[in-house]
Amino acid sequence: MIPPEILLIIINFAIGLIITISLNIEVGLLNIPQFGRLLAVIIGAIVAAAVPGRILAVMLGYPWGVEYADHMYNFKIVAGINKVLANNPLLSIGIFILTLIIAALLGGLIGYLCAYPAIRLKLAYLGITLLAFGDLVVTIAWNYEPLVGGTTGVFVIDPFVFTGPAMRFTIAAFITLIVALALYVYAELLVRSPYGRMLKAIRDSEIAAGIYGKDIVKAKKQILIIGGAMAAVAGALWALFTGSMKAVTYTRLQWTFWPWAFMMLGGVGNNLGIFIGVLIYTIVRFLIIVYKGVISTIVGVSPEWLEYILVGLLIIIIVLFRPQGLLPEKPTYSIPTRKIVSIIKRVEEEGGK
Amino acid sequence: MLDLIVKAVAYSSCIGIGAAAIALIYSATKTFNFAHASLVSWGMYVMFAGTYLLGYTPYLYIPFTILVGAALGLVIYGGVNRWLLKAKASEINLMMSTLGADLVLFGFLNIYSDYLLQTYKIPAKYFVLEVKDVVFKIGNVNIRLIGIIAPLILVTIVILLHMFLTKTKIGIAMRASIENPDLASVSGVNIDLTYVLAWLIGGGLATLSGGLLSLIVTGYTAAGMTMIVSFFAGAIVGGLYSIFGSLLGGLLVGLSEFLGITLLASIAGGWIYAYRPAIPLAALAITLLLKPEGLAGFFVKVRE
Repeated sequence: MIPPEILLIIINFAIGLIITISLNIEVGLLNIPQFGRLLAVIIGAIVAAAVPGRILAVMLGYPWGVEYADHMYNFKIVAGINKVLANNPLLSIGIFILTLIIAALLGGLIGYLCAYPAIRLKLAYLGITLLAFGDLVVTIAWNYEPLVGGTTGVFVIDPFVFTGPAMRFTIAAFITLIVALALYVYAELLVRSPYGRMLKAIRDSEIAAGIYGKDIVKAKKQILIIGGAMAAVAGALWALFTGSMKAVTYTRLQWTFWPWAFMMLGGVGNNLGIFIGVLIYTIVRFLIIVYKGVISTIVGVSPEWLEYILVGLLIIIIVLFRPQGLLPEKPTYSIPTRKIVSIIKRVEEEGGK
Repeated sequence: MLDLIVKAVAYSSCIGIGAAAIALIYSATKTFNFAHASLVSWGMYVMFAGTYLLGYTPYLYIPFTILVGAALGLVIYGGVNRWLLKAKASEINLMMSTLGADLVLFGFLNIYSDYLLQTYKIPAKYFVLEVKDVVFKIGNVNIRLIGIIAPLILVTIVILLHMFLTKTKIGIAMRASIENPDLASVSGVNIDLTYVLAWLIGGGLATLSGGLLSLIVTGYTAAGMTMIVSFFAGAIVGGLYSIFGSLLGGLLVGLSEFLGITLLASIAGGWIYAYRPAIPLAALAITLLLKPEGLAGFFVKVRE
């Protein structure tokens, strides 16, 4: 049996990893100032809260319209659905995968819409526009009750319920971790592919890449779609894991700025660095939570505020002293290093003749 | 209706002052100041602490908000921004560094608010300074003094800034170094000094807008973070490169937030009030799509 503390680290790490990787694809590979990561994340969470529950409600004959998100009915409907899901693993797995697919599709759509400003605006303007769009969606989800219950929030159906109460959180956390690792591998393959090298070329010099006939607009669109889809999957996984969805808990700080801090700590453009950055930060944050009492008696202030100060200082120190992060981005080779060394040797020998 | 207009004018004046602060720092140092959010909150808490601990009218503490903001701006510049500008950091890194500064300021503000709450037992988590404002009657309508003071301060700032930027030697040097830092430094302008001044004035104006806002809206530590989109929208509607354009942009965004939502509510019904945060966003989107150079583009020809 895995202790709940470890599970907490695993789930936070997995969600943080997906979001930061998705951020890195956009920022690290294409230099898009994505200050609206929250946008795609909350879209994913809204999908998880609003869509699979309604599909099952239709199938099982529960009300699925406005009543579904009403706090008077929602918990009854979700409890009823969960009872059915508990005896039906196949349906649970199916609905879990379907949720992730819908979340990814809608997240991709959001990315596509973000491409409209992204190919027209630069740096600060784009960053602020994306940030504002994120806040707008939170405002809508918070106030428009038929969507996800507005201020009262809604319960999310539980596709892991069939594993039984003892194992539910363990299995849910590990499935989330597996999805995160799969997306990590995907991101790493993307970086190493010819396509990834093209993105880096565009990032380093749009003009030069353009001269060589690379379609910059298309690349930006594709990357925003991929990044949005990944972030939405993370949002959906988080909502499914926690079992509830309340728009106001999706803050700019936690879902945009924290991942930015992870990314800068690990190394912009380097997936392995980000893996380490997220891991370090998740563990440190966990330790702060565990030793809350001890810290507050020593320092004399609430550890919650101490966390803000520490993260703020961390960001400042990284930007000032190590802007490339803990693990700086390394050039990725399309062929093994051995081969490159042998080619260099051969060229040198030929040059010597 | 009159009291609503007065409140709208007061609110939008504050947004205008804050937007001008963002534009000033951005145009001088190319740094988009995320720390603005916490500076606004700090301004609110200076007013609050002064009024509750020392008494008298809140207006007495307006100069102190400016002083605190200028000091914080100086700290951010001296501690972070200066070194990054020297190292020619990218715009994203400059932005991120102010985000770090914002988190630090936010943390300290919360500690301060906890301290006020525990030591002096004053409601430092949420406070409404509006009740301490002076109220007088025009006809049947109660008018709060902030409705007159805030626009007055706005006008004073416009005049002072204009005098500073056109009449004083250092102000002219500052304008020159905003337009072309390299050329200005060759002509003997101390660029470093203009950066310092930008952060001093920008920080001071940010906290000033917060201090004035504390008499209009509920104060809490995250108030600046909540309202930051309005400030950003104001700055971008104004053009971001132009201080007075952004001031005007902030005024426009503030007014449309307050009056626009009332107008919409009278057409569509009261449910629409909840969507007030969407208005600055709409202003932002429209500006960026139709006239990316902002309001300033109407007055100034931007040379490539």
